[in-house]
Amino acid sequence: MSALPLVEARGLEKRFALATPWLDRILAHRPRRFVHAVAGVDLSIARGRTLALVGESGCGKSTVGRLLVGLLAPSAGLIRFDGRDFDARAGRRALAPLRRRMQMIFQDPYASLNPRWRVRDIIAEPLDAFALTRSRRERMERVAELLLQVGLTPADAEKYPHQFSGGQRQRISIARALASRPDFLVCDEPTSALDVSVQAQILNLMMDLQEKFRLTYLFISHNLAVVRLIADEVAVMYAGRILECAPSSLLFARPLHPYTRLLLDTVPDIDRRHRSRSPLAGEVPSPIDPPPGCAFHPRCPWAFARCRSERPELRAAEGAYVACHGLEEGRIPV
Amino acid sequence: MGVRAAIRALFGHDRVGGLTRAPAPMAAAAITLLFLLAALLAPWLAPHDPFDPATLFLADAFLPPRWAEGGDARFLLGTDDQGRCLLSSILLGMRISLLVGIASVLVSAVIGTVLGVSAGYIGGIYETLVMRAADVQLTIPGILVALTLSGIARTALPRELVEAAAIWVLILAIGISGWPHYARVTRGVALVEKSKDYVAAARVIGVHPLRIMFKHLLPNVIGPVLVLATIGLAVAIIAESTLSFLGVGAPPTSPSLGTLIRNGNDYLFSGEWWIAFFPSLALVTLVLAVNLLGDWLRDTLNPKLR
Repeated sequence: MSALPLVEARGLEKRFALATPWLDRILAHRPRRFVHAVAGVDLSIARGRTLALVGESGCGKSTVGRLLVGLLAPSAGLIRFDGRDFDARAGRRALAPLRRRMQMIFQDPYASLNPRWRVRDIIAEPLDAFALTRSRRERMERVAELLLQVGLTPADAEKYPHQFSGGQRQRISIARALASRPDFLVCDEPTSALDVSVQAQILNLMMDLQEKFRLTYLFISHNLAVVRLIADEVAVMYAGRILECAPSSLLFARPLHPYTRLLLDTVPDIDRRHRSRSPLAGEVPSPIDPPPGCAFHPRCPWAFARCRSERPELRAAEGAYVACHGLEEGRIPV
Repeated sequence: MGVRAAIRALFGHDRVGGLTRAPAPMAAAAITLLFLLAALLAPWLAPHDPFDPATLFLADAFLPPRWAEGGDARFLLGTDDQGRCLLSSILLGMRISLLVGIASVLVSAVIGTVLGVSAGYIGGIYETLVMRAADVQLTIPGILVALTLSGIARTALPRELVEAAAIWVLILAIGISGWPHYARVTRGVALVEKSKDYVAAARVIGVHPLRIMFKHLLPNVIGPVLVLATIGLAVAIIAESTLSFLGVGAPPTSPSLGTLIRNGNDYLFSGEWWIAFFPSLALVTLVLAVNLLGDWLRDTLNPKLR
């Protein structure tokens, strides 16, 4: 994690109250129960870099993304953006200058564009919201420029979303995200709803745009092949916490945490067709009643007594950050 | 922009074009249109002015329809107890019925949509309050709500205003009695749409919640509301007629179909059947046509039923 991060989170937590009927709770004398979607996450992303957040479904990676752009307010912890506190509970006006600089790209290109709006109005939504253009003509010119930047044509501005393919829709989504000239983009599985051939095009576009505008990405994905291509650093999440965070090349070459190792082991490899695999057994623990100690211990082949009682902290080891008692004590071979 | 393009912009598809291939809804649409036109042009279509005392003669009272024995060539559908031309009364009465029906549906739809969409989008305590209020009101028959409201208005308003404001009281009373249906449907649509990512994208930008509700959620609500409104129009016309029949609706000086039926009801058993029969026939035909149209619209716009 290098100096002068653009985006920084410290002790980020998000609890969701379970919707138990109020009357049932009173009658059964039960307290409100919470889902700990994010249970203490620290991260920082340097300007112009890409941090990938990987993990199984339900590990809280999307929630982290939504917290960082202010779609959700954190239950605890703080977010700093370019050295300034970003509090999603602050007033709309107070947040506008920071909001202009952060945008989001979503997974489902069919749900992220309003089907009743023309493409020009979709792309111009941030322009209108931040009053970035002074005249209709300027607005049209900016929309045309954005369409060209994402590989579409200015004539597409008059069309409706249903006239485009999934990949083209994702390009429109990217154009909208770029409209306010942001510094930081949260990309929530932007390619996982697309065909493989289209995925590559979108990833290339995103990398080109990153270089051109010096964008900073938080790239949320469960697809390790995609992550390997685009990320500078990778953070592995499990049950609401980061278990390992390392430069991408290092993590893929030499995963440290047992979970990361198992995760990489599940990636199909055409050169090693007959290797023996140890399948990752079990389920992600329930975020309502997380197991004590290390959240991964019920599935970990190396788990020992300390893992069941004490939660490991993220510590620097071998050029990476890992949260594992086994590694710290040298019980697990590096 | 053609009709088809307008329909497509409104509903996202143009299946409404199928109307020409369905004979029953086609007839219903034609009859509804005919009644609307008749009501609109009533002052010019009506052969007599039943509210001009100078042209009324008691000697013309209780004349049966033209084709019946003792009928008069001047009065196609006969006359009532005051010697008023029944056909003219029906045409003008339908005007009142349709005016009250359409206006009260508008009142219901606006109140219900505003409360429903905002409840769905805002959620929390506000949503609970709005939706429980709707539930409570739905346990009381709509006509009872309207009856109570119009009763309260009659006592609250000064005497000389009661008659002048009767139509407005009627519109508000029927309108308020119908909002929960719109609130329930629009809240459901708002809940579905608000969870979609295009709303999240607008929230990331910091778009004002009111603008999100108007620009993103409202267009999705228009289709279902239009269907409810068509079905609701029939209900509102019946509610108006019922209230008028009970004597708390349209005043005798500007009678609606319900007022005419109540008036005719007094003579039903003394042999002057036509005074109640023809207004009733007009009411039944109108309500049936509007209802069929509404059902067809609902089925057409609901992809699950096709």
